[in-house]
Amino acid sequence: MKKSIKLLALSTVVILSTSVSLFAIDLTKAYDMPDASKMIEKDLLKEPTKFKLPKSCKLDDLDSIARGKFFFHNLNGKKAKGKAPKGVKKFIKKNGKKKPKQFGNCVACHNIEGAKGGGNIGPDLTNYKKLFVDTKTRDAQFVYQKIADARIDNPKTHMTINLTTKLFNKSEICDLTAYVMSTKK
Amino acid sequence: MRKLLLPLALMVTVASAGEQFAMSDADRAMYKEMLENNPADIYVEEGGEILDEQLGGEEALAKFLGVTEKELPKYIAGFPRYIKKLGNVVGIDQVLQAMEVEQGKKKTKLKSGKMFSMLAYVKSLANDEKFTIDIKADEHIKASYELGKKTFMTARGGRGLSCNSCHSSDIVGQILRTQPLPDLGKVGAGATWPAYRMTKSSLRTLQRRFQGCMKNALLKVIPIGSKEMVGLEVYISTLAQKEKKAIAIPGLKR
Ligand code: HEC
Ligand code: HEC
Repeated sequence: MKKSIKLLALSTVVILSTSVSLFAIDLTKAYDMPDASKMIEKDLLKEPTKFKLPKSCKLDDLDSIARGKFFFHNLNGKKAKGKAPKGVKKFIKKNGKKKPKQFGNCVACHNIEGAKGGGNIGPDLTNYKKLFVDTKTRDAQFVYQKIADARIDNPKTHMTINLTTKLFNKSEICDLTAYVMSTKK
Repeated sequence: MRKLLLPLALMVTVASAGEQFAMSDADRAMYKEMLENNPADIYVEEGGEILDEQLGGEEALAKFLGVTEKELPKYIAGFPRYIKKLGNVVGIDQVLQAMEVEQGKKKTKLKSGKMFSMLAYVKSLANDEKFTIDIKADEHIKASYELGKKTFMTARGGRGLSCNSCHSSDIVGQILRTQPLPDLGKVGAGATWPAYRMTKSSLRTLQRRFQGCMKNALLKVIPIGSKEMVGLEVYISTLAQKEKKAIAIPGLKR
């Protein structure tokens, strides 16, 4: 073999072997790492908000109390058993699709009259009217605010936020307030 | 070879009081039986076979990670961790994807049963090891831990809840609709997933479990493998590490 060819062959080997390490495939994009930051951004909870008990709240209205009871004891329209009370839909349209309406599932954390598998993360709301309303320890404004946005009187609350998140509207928060404050059997 | 687990090592505390709890006596009996014969063993085994046949087994894995096979268990016990050539703090599943790509193969989806099996197998190589995550090792793992902690604390979604709303230390042990809230450190959540989930009749991973809680509590479900999910895994794993929990894969969960 001619010297120059030998040299060429040698240098090719050198180049080839270095290129393997120099141009080893870039692995920084070889796996999935989907972006979640924008999803979380859009999902964030708004600032604590003060709400005033609406004048339209009818705390003695039996239909309102029945709706509140239904919201309190059920997670969502798909899981809810029995007929929905007057004025409540189990399924709603969202972006053109039929979706189960989300309810309060308050019973997950609170015991109350008739609770099935009630939790104990929040205080027991049994006998609420007699123990707290009649004794003037609590009033409708307090209960309404607590259910709407509990952070106003407890910034570190473990309770769900129900109006600031738009999970419920004002009239539905009235229903829940009415139910909690009502006399139950 | 993967170390086999003593079924007893899996004995997690199952609330023993009556009807009120989500686990009935019949469920508990089934749970006991499954402890001795975890249905997920077969998935883990299958994961090992796939790794062997398609990616070159533990030898190839160790080589990819730049450690010896003997060092592998301790090294696995340090995941999620920063892998320089991948440029991020990653989970074991993402390492397996990168191996597939390097070998010119199609990468397996993070959310597939095949990946769950492979991940379970690889993590089981570290069975009986304690976690070796060092959150001060480099700026990357530090940032990942911080992001995980932040994600854990961030209230969001339809009910304005955060993971911490239900898993903070002042509230664990209390009852959420028939279910006692677990202390994620004390139950060694980080060390016991992938696990067989009885209520889902399948093998589930830690990040898949996070998604379950997000869905139930109306937090927007974020994708497996995202920086936030990996961060959450780092954070939850360090909770198990603080409790000196040994890795025990596959776990068995209600
Ligand atoms: C995830 C747990 C949780 C859920 C779900 C929950 N709560 Fe609460 N609730 C609490 C906690 C904890 C408190 C204690 C006070 C606080 O932290 O704000 C509380 C307090 C209350 C109070 C005030 C009691 C008092 O007089 O001091 C009312 C009323 C109440 N909740 C009603 C509801 C209603 C109605 C719902 C459903 C729409 C609900 N809660 C859902 C945890 C919860
Ligand atoms: C509304 C309450 C609630 C919220 C919010 C919540 N969790 Fe949970 N989590 C639970 C309950 C209850 C269990 C136990 C369920 C069971 O026994 O199957 C649980 C179980 C878990 C487990 C499994 C523990 C084990 O046994 O190994 C993990 C991991 C976990 N949660 C992580 C999270 C993360 C991460 C978040 C936030 C994205 C979160 N959770 C948000 C209630 C919640």
